[in-house]
Amino acid sequence: MFFLHYAWLIPILPLLSFILISLTPIRHSKQMSGWLAIGLMGVATIFALGLMGGVTQGLRLGEGSAVTSAHTPEQHAPETSENAEGKHGKEAFVFPEANVVQNFVWAPTGNTSFTMGVYIDPIAAIVLVMVTITSTCIHLFSMGYMAANSRQSRFFSFISLFTAAMLAMVLADNLLLFFIAWEIMGLCSYLLIGFLYERPQAYRAGIKAFITTRIGDVLMMLGMVYLYTQAGSLAFGMKDGQIFNEAFLKQLALGKNALGLTHATTIALLIFGGTVGKSAQFPLHVWLPDAMEGPTPVSALIHAATMVSAGVFLVGRTYPIFTADDGTALLVVSAIGAFTALFAASIAVAQFDIKRILAYSTLSQLGFMVAALGIGGWVAGMFHLLTHAFFKALLFLGSGSVIHAMEATKSIEKIHHDDEYAAQQTAQDIRNMGNLKAYMPWTFWVYTAGYLALAGIFPFAGFWSKDEILADAQNGHLAIYIVLTIAAFLTAFYMTRQWRAVFFGEYRGKNPLIYVNPEHVASDHHAAKDHGHVAHTDQHSSHSDEPHESPWTIVAPLVVLAFFAVVGGFFNLPFAVPGGHWLSHLLGQESAEFNFMVAGISLLIALVGIGAGWSYAEVFKTAQDKDPFEVSQPGLFCLLNNKYYIDEFYGLTVGRISDGLALAWSWIDSKVFDKLLNGTGFFTLFISRINFIIDDTLLNDGPDGIGNNTLTTGQAMRQTQTGKVQDYLALIFAGVVILALIYLYRM
Amino acid sequence: MIEAVPLEWILTVAAALFCIGLFGALSRRNAVGILMGIELMLNAINLNLVAFWRYLSPLSSTGPVFSLLIITIAAAEAAVGLAMVIAVYRAWQTVNLDTVDALKG
Repeated sequence: MFFLHYAWLIPILPLLSFILISLTPIRHSKQMSGWLAIGLMGVATIFALGLMGGVTQGLRLGEGSAVTSAHTPEQHAPETSENAEGKHGKEAFVFPEANVVQNFVWAPTGNTSFTMGVYIDPIAAIVLVMVTITSTCIHLFSMGYMAANSRQSRFFSFISLFTAAMLAMVLADNLLLFFIAWEIMGLCSYLLIGFLYERPQAYRAGIKAFITTRIGDVLMMLGMVYLYTQAGSLAFGMKDGQIFNEAFLKQLALGKNALGLTHATTIALLIFGGTVGKSAQFPLHVWLPDAMEGPTPVSALIHAATMVSAGVFLVGRTYPIFTADDGTALLVVSAIGAFTALFAASIAVAQFDIKRILAYSTLSQLGFMVAALGIGGWVAGMFHLLTHAFFKALLFLGSGSVIHAMEATKSIEKIHHDDEYAAQQTAQDIRNMGNLKAYMPWTFWVYTAGYLALAGIFPFAGFWSKDEILADAQNGHLAIYIVLTIAAFLTAFYMTRQWRAVFFGEYRGKNPLIYVNPEHVASDHHAAKDHGHVAHTDQHSSHSDEPHESPWTIVAPLVVLAFFAVVGGFFNLPFAVPGGHWLSHLLGQESAEFNFMVAGISLLIALVGIGAGWSYAEVFKTAQDKDPFEVSQPGLFCLLNNKYYIDEFYGLTVGRISDGLALAWSWIDSKVFDKLLNGTGFFTLFISRINFIIDDTLLNDGPDGIGNNTLTTGQAMRQTQTGKVQDYLALIFAGVVILALIYLYRM
Repeated sequence: MIEAVPLEWILTVAAALFCIGLFGALSRRNAVGILMGIELMLNAINLNLVAFWRYLSPLSSTGPVFSLLIITIAAAEAAVGLAMVIAVYRAWQTVNLDTVDALKG
């Protein structure tokens, strides 16, 4: 089947877009580069959908090129373990057989070799669909949103490269290629967060993101190396020699290393380190809120839908290793996930920046996903990954539309002339918004769809996926269940607070609470050409002081994503009806049955949260009003608003250590290494001087001397040539005498 | 009985003549004087030759023949030498061989 054969083209198309935009003169035209990127992404989406179609039919493409229509995936379901109950059973977790496996040898290493290729099974296919659709929507969104930025073509090339890397990661057939794509995504994240690099906050945030995820990546690399030493290969698959082979996994679970843990536990925990970094789990979560310095499409694409779910996908992909041991690894995973969920949700309650609230919400939902994986609910975690991508991207893009409109109002423009960064931060403050429902109806409705999905209201997508996680948790992991339920409550609460403050009440933007920029760079108006919103240089006269709806290129992607937010849940209805459990059957795993009690409790909790949030947000009449939480519990509010002071803590501990190490190295470098280098230099000079002496004497003075002596001798011999006959005569006579003597006395 | 003059006396005379001739050839400034010295040397050689012939092997004819050859050569050489002196005079306007040192080097 065509789509299966050419599935490897899916990441190549956005890569091609990146190459074309960056290396050819296309980059000079913002329109051309934008539509090229959108077009290629659209084609990639079609390929992904086609692939998905093939996968649902059960088509398979093996080592040869024969396409066989295999048995239905349901045959696998009875073989799997009792994952549905949440107990990671003693039977190993088994993937269904892959649909497409194509690879080529890339780096021969002795007996084995590293390959590059694709390994597509149903979960990969469906994640591909999610990524391509979301990315296409965001590409289209950026067309309108970043139109005023002079570097828009570069933006398109970066997001295309990022998408190519994410798609390559999903398709990768071994952990090495997976990791390569993972790192490219990290690079793109850095480039995109610091895209508006004139602002110090932006480039600092980019560096922070890169370095924090790097810490996780080092752990992941250690895990990969460990796995390679055990397995001799990093290829996905269950055949002999590949890492999900059952016999190999059993062996991993038995051997112990020097720390007293089994191989499987150590490898799983190290690989999970990569997830902690990339998916921003506690304690490496600090980069995600700061990453909001990047333009909103970046936040939507990278930090909501795709890159942060890459960490969850990693755990999902290498799940057999996690389930192979006695449960230690999964316990750690679920604990960290649940803690992050609650922790981040609590911080979001006390934030005022619309994007920060969404960022902490992302952190919290990632915690949900990781916790779901930790308790054995593989399908639940993956399902939540898919639905969350759609509605979180929708929410971010919706907030982008709101910010876009806010920044176009007069009051914000006034600030913009003075300090561009303060203007942006003021525009993002929910205290300055209000009643946007009347001004921006389309944005309101799509945002509401996303909000209801996130809060987990029936029948939106988030309800089904979150409910499945809770059902899995309740089935034997009561502590996790309680923590996640509290987090769900807080989610509903802070999202409602945000929703009401932004869209309802009275518009407070005419008298905004102006952000005080501690790093204000005065009279920076010349750099104001480069910002991520509508150009104001030609619209001064047409500004009203009220926001208005955004253009179609911004609203259309929102509508598409809203559709998925609404219907996404129906892909895995937990009922035994025709079409139910569709996703779990596709993925070949069991998933939880619908549990009325759990669903009822979660819906109730969500509604209570909504009610609480609604009543809290009522207070905001003017932008200068204080949050009622702040009024009633100032200490706690301060703690939450400042993110539990974790950044400051890291600065004092890890930051100091790094500074100290840097100083120590610098000292060693200047005192030791420089001295050594200088010494080498002096020694070389010394040797060269000796060399010179020898050289000069032998090779210069020698031949000179020979020449001079020849001259002198010649001069001396000249004396005999007087030119006078008589002298010659005398010499002849002397010669005769000598000959005579010789003759007389020798002969 | 009249005793012959001892051979050594004649040889001494010849040697003395030769030395005088050599001295003359080496120390005369005038070119013709050098030629005269050369002549003297040749004649001394002749005397030597004749003395040896007369006293040691008077019956062979080698002696006089050799003498005759030397006289002939002396004569020829004197002629050529004088021709050279005339040529030198034409070129250098002098016969003082101290000044003719064009080949000095």
